[in-house]
This record gives sequence, C-alpha cells and structure tokens, in this order.
Amino acid sequence: MDYFEPKSLDEALSLLAKHGHEAKVIAGGTDVMVDIKYKEEPGCLVNIKKISGLGGIQENGGSLRIGSLATIRDVETSSLVRDKLPVLWESAHQFASLQIRNTATIGGNICRASPSGETLAPLLVLEAKGKLAFSEGEKTEPFMSFFQGPGKTSLGTKGLLTEIDVPFPAEGSRGVYLKHAVRGAMDIAMVGVAVLITPDAARNTLQDVRIGLGAVAPTPIRASKTEALLRGKSLTVALLKEAAAMAAAESSPISDQRSSGEYRRWIVEALTRRGLEQTWKAATGKEVA
Amino acid sequence: MKKKVTLTVNGEEHEIEIEANRLLLQVLRDTLGLTGTKEGCSIGVCGACSVIIDGRVVSSCLTLAAACAGKKIETIEGLAEDGRLHPLQQAFIEYGGFQCGICTPGQIMAAKSLLDENPKPTEDEVKEWMSGNLCRCTGYYKILEAVMAVVNNKIDPDFAFRKREQTAKIQSLDVYKSVAKTN
Repeated sequence: MDYFEPKSLDEALSLLAKHGHEAKVIAGGTDVMVDIKYKEEPGCLVNIKKISGLGGIQENGGSLRIGSLATIRDVETSSLVRDKLPVLWESAHQFASLQIRNTATIGGNICRASPSGETLAPLLVLEAKGKLAFSEGEKTEPFMSFFQGPGKTSLGTKGLLTEIDVPFPAEGSRGVYLKHAVRGAMDIAMVGVAVLITPDAARNTLQDVRIGLGAVAPTPIRASKTEALLRGKSLTVALLKEAAAMAAAESSPISDQRSSGEYRRWIVEALTRRGLEQTWKAATGKEVA
Repeated sequence: MKKKVTLTVNGEEHEIEIEANRLLLQVLRDTLGLTGTKEGCSIGVCGACSVIIDGRVVSSCLTLAAACAGKKIETIEGLAEDGRLHPLQQAFIEYGGFQCGICTPGQIMAAKSLLDENPKPTEDEVKEWMSGNLCRCTGYYKILEAVMAVVNNKIDPDFAFRKREQTAKIQSLDVYKSVAKTN
C-alpha cells in the first residue's frame, strides 16, 4: 500500500485524479482503518490531515463555517456550535467515545455517507451545504442532494469536501437530536431523529418544520411529507400522532444485527413524536393540546 | 512502501522505518517493545489501546504510525518517575481499580488526559469522560473511586515509594531472612 501526505489541496486532488479507484482518502481514519483491517487494503492511502486551512470553526455572517478536518471533539467543544446549533452539538456529544471524537473528523463522518452517520440528520435539518473541491474547480452543494447511497456521494472518487456551511436557524426556532441505541457510549444509532421547528410570531402555529431521519433509509433523509402535513398548523395531540405515524411510513429501514426494520419504524414513530413534543414546548411554551 | 518516521514517545525520539499500514499500537508494542499499551477490540470501541497524542486521548489501534510523525505520544510507560508511580497508578493499586489488568493502561491514560485538562472533575464528569473505556472485571466503581481519590488529593505516591523502600530494606536484613526461613 502506498501512502501520501499531500500538503495542499491541489496536490491531494491530483493524487486522487492519478490513482482513481485505487486511492482511499483518510483523515481521522476511524472508519477507514477498520476497513483496511477487516475488508480490504486500498492501493494507496491519501492522508489529507496535513493540508492546512481545512480545519477550524468560525462564524461567517448568518452561518457557521466548519472546516472538514475539524474533529467531532472540536465541534462538541465549540461554544459557537453549542449556542447556535444545539441540534448539531447534541449529535457530536453523543458520538461514539471520547477517543473516537478526538480523532474522527466531521468531514469524514459526512463523506463516509453511512445512513447512520451521527451528524447527518442534524445537518439535513439545518440545511447545511458542503464546499466540494475537484481538480476542475469548486462547487457548493446542499447535503440534501449530496448523499446518493451508503458510502456514495457527489464527490465520487475525485473530489474532496473542504468545508461545511451551516446556516443559523431562524430566531425563535428550537431543535433536538434524539438517538436510539442500546448503550449510551460507543454505539451506532439504531435510529437518529433530528427535529427543528420555527413557530410563527404569535407562537401558535408551526411556520417551519424540518424532520431528519438517520439509519432508516439508504441515506439520511428528510421526512418531507410529514413536514408538509405539519406546516402552518398548531400541534394537537391528534396531529402529533398522525405526523409520527407518517414519519415512520416515510422511512424504509433494513433489518440487520442491530434491530429489525419493523422495530426501527416503531422507534422512528416514537422519536418523531418526542422530538416534536419537546421542540413545540420549548418554542411556544405550550403543551401539545 | 516503507517510510522513515521519527516518533516521540514519552519524550524519547525513535527513528524507525515502517510500512505505511502499520498501526501505532503495533509499532509501540512490536517495534519499540512498549507492551504496556494493550489491544482489546481492535476496532476502536473498547479503549484498551488508549494513548495520549498531543494532549488528546485516542485509540492507537486505529491510528496510523506514519501519521504520528512529529507528534507527542504518551503511553503508560511514561508515567512513573524515578520509581515513583504516577498518582493515578498508585490510586488504582490502593483502591483495587483493576483485576485482570488488560483495560488498565487505557483507563489510566484516559483518566490522565482528563486530569491534565481538568484537575478537579466531578464524579459525573469522570464517568462521562471515561465511558469509552470498557472494563469487564471491576464493575467500574473502583476505577471511579481511584480517579476521585487522585482528584481529592488522597494519594501520596511518595509515601508509597518510601514504604516500598522500607519494606525492601527490612526484607534485606539477615534477621528477616532467618525468621522468614524458620516460618
């Protein structure tokens, strides 16, 4: 196995262009190293950690710019993330173990494109965008269209994610990330649900609702039919029940060693209900009537 | 493809030539002979192989050795000084913080990285920080007690060192040997 440590983005992109499918990009390596040990060793490894300027977390107008090499621990310990993007903070906080959070990068979690990737459902509800670099040039793409299947993204084998742009949610909005797993620490989500709601000015109806589902479809998804059902309405007990069932119907979970698809659907229903209830209460100060 | 790298482990520089796919865990144990760091699950979910790199606790079973060039690596072997154990090591002994011992170096390195960053954590902070370190023997309480004993300044490695020295001195006396023989 060849090993490269490019010092610049251009150098990394030309290595990827040259080695094509043979090349594997590695940053923190917490997923890649397990693959190398138990699946197969790539022809070459391109370690992008030495490229400068791809880390850091900064406020940039109405959004937060997170460098793709920022570790999950950087995200978790950032007061900017904690204050402005609690949905994302929660997913970073519940991420694996400290050892892994110290190593794994947010870019790696995204580019791995695992349906259960912890930060992905939160990034979808926050309507975050990625800055993608190719040797032909850069482009910005919303994560809504970025994920194409397990392990597959718009980057293909030639591109690199350089930064993540996360717009701050509207004033008055409230979000929550709920994860269902057997253990508290170090466990992959069986189901992850991110909910972000914005009430209207009078705090009577849902002006905007976003529901992100993780680990229950080939990619992380938004429950868009459920969102449409809820938009513009006041959250009642009957509507809450209908919405939770609809979110479960919008998911298409597989059965695996962690749980059956049927069980995952139940969990989607329960977590969607809980998420909506909690955010409604937090945003409007009212109980679901 | 072999690569020449210089690793700084416990303050000592080692110039080695390694394959690119070698893990830090393998290099520590097999190349440098530092077998204090243990391999547990080998996929980053048990914490047994924890070492500290540039102040942060990480799993050495998922870390490429080649990528550690120029970084400061701390392992369990670097904690004791002049025969005096680190307060955490002494505490694990005094409070029975281990049984089989496989997870212990990782537990201690994780605890050290916490105390380096926050010398006065609460019990809950210790529990949360160390939730990535599994132990199948102790039930965790004794580990928590050991760490909290250090936090609360209940450990004096110097006293333990003097006690050990004194015991060794007594045991070296002829009168001790003759008594030990008759018993």
